[in-house]
Amino acid sequence: MAMGLNSVGYIFREVGNSIRRNAWLSLASVLTVTISMVILGASIFFLLNASNLAADFESELEIAVFAKDTLDSQEIKALGEKIKDLSGVDTIEFVPKEQALKDLTKSMKSTSIVEDIGDTNPFPDKYTVHVVDPQQVQNVADRITKLTGVDNVVYGKDVVEPLLKFTEWLRWAGTIIVGLFAVASLVLISLNIKMNVFSRRKEIEIMKLVGASNAFIRWPFILEGLFLGLIGGLLAVLVVGLGYDWLARYIQDTLTFMPVVHETELIGKVLGSLVLVGMGIGALGSTISLRRFLKV
Amino acid sequence: MIQLTNVSKIYPNGSRALVDISLKIDNGEFVFLVGPSGAGKSTLIRLLYREELPTRGQVTMNGRSMIRLRDREVPQLRRTVGVIFQDFRLLPNKTAFENVAFALEVIGVGRREVKNRTKKALELVGLANKENCFPHQLSGGEQQRVSVARAIVNNPALLVADEPTGNLDPETAWGIMELLYNINRRGTTIVMATHAREIVDQMQKRVIAIEDGKVARDQKQGAYGYGT
Repeated sequence: MAMGLNSVGYIFREVGNSIRRNAWLSLASVLTVTISMVILGASIFFLLNASNLAADFESELEIAVFAKDTLDSQEIKALGEKIKDLSGVDTIEFVPKEQALKDLTKSMKSTSIVEDIGDTNPFPDKYTVHVVDPQQVQNVADRITKLTGVDNVVYGKDVVEPLLKFTEWLRWAGTIIVGLFAVASLVLISLNIKMNVFSRRKEIEIMKLVGASNAFIRWPFILEGLFLGLIGGLLAVLVVGLGYDWLARYIQDTLTFMPVVHETELIGKVLGSLVLVGMGIGALGSTISLRRFLKV
Repeated sequence: MIQLTNVSKIYPNGSRALVDISLKIDNGEFVFLVGPSGAGKSTLIRLLYREELPTRGQVTMNGRSMIRLRDREVPQLRRTVGVIFQDFRLLPNKTAFENVAFALEVIGVGRREVKNRTKKALELVGLANKENCFPHQLSGGEQQRVSVARAIVNNPALLVADEPTGNLDPETAWGIMELLYNINRRGTTIVMATHAREIVDQMQKRVIAIEDGKVARDQKQGAYGYGT
């Protein structure tokens, strides 16, 4: 319904008055949004890190392909091409036998072995293969085995399956936790809004009685919901942002092997969406809670 | 003119509040609705500002049906009807001035005009000096005056009152009646449901008695007519 400028001015003044006069209720609403968004934000960061961790584990999965000793350098190159052409193969890296020997020497921290074996090099040439989808490791490995010129294929058969199960579980757990807390925060916030609307049902009744249009009654509540959601969301961003920053540093200092998500852009997106979700829930909740009272 | 034609109201729980009522109220009339509690007076009042719709029958105001209103026409209708309740229904967190101004603000009246008309209405009910008081700082009679000011501030053609003196002592009640009398003299139609025998007997206005949802009596210059 169209509204005049007078009404718009009145509505904004009314929002200010309402927040001031119902200071405690407003504070409760803000804190409800804050707490909900902190919980939601924390669980989203948990999910992000869980799936990041899973991806990190999975990226460790690689297939070592050892070439037959009899191949000359031309044939080894051809084998590499063939492996690369297989579907499901992401990257492939050639490790010549000289490199393998050097690596071993380095890890033994002595040259004695090399001296012991003299000029002979017992290592075969090797390809290190990464697959696109970790679930396909076994499948790809099987197909590589069948290629001519391949002596042996090693990919940690016993580790792959439990690892994939674990990463899958990690992702599921993260998703479920986010889902649960999203529902919990929705319930919390809508309960608060219902209280707010209920505490003002008299006001709504009188507004209807003197002929205020439904749009006119609704707008202050929507704006108030938006505003309180904004404040609550910003507070939540402060808490989650600082908290996550601290926790990420702490983890990286103490558990250095743990991968932690710290892309600024991604974190910014998550925090930004917390504010938007807070505002959205505030406005939407107000509209829904009001419906019952607006029936003519 | 208000016209009810064969109006019945049956609530969802099955109680029959009004049974086949037909009556006419002319513009400018002052009408008392009397009768035992639960006879249907309040239901009849609520039909007049479209808080309720009749189950059967037709209600018209100045020839317009009040039943076939679109949702957005309902607020328009309510702006032409002022309502007063036994329990005042003031907003506790607004001052007397704000409570009255509220009725104008929510229909989009400009700020300056709100101020002028609100002051005038408060003057009319004799509360110009208490405009900054909150309801809890006012006596019952003063609170009812504020609610009268709110009901008349946008010059409604019809003023309906559901036991407006029910919570007031006799002296204060007469103050309110004097106010309503003056408002009626300025041309506003008034329909008032009441149990106040003395008031009805002395005012000598039209009396419609409702019993068991039917019109039991309709007299010009009538009396309350029920035993003590």
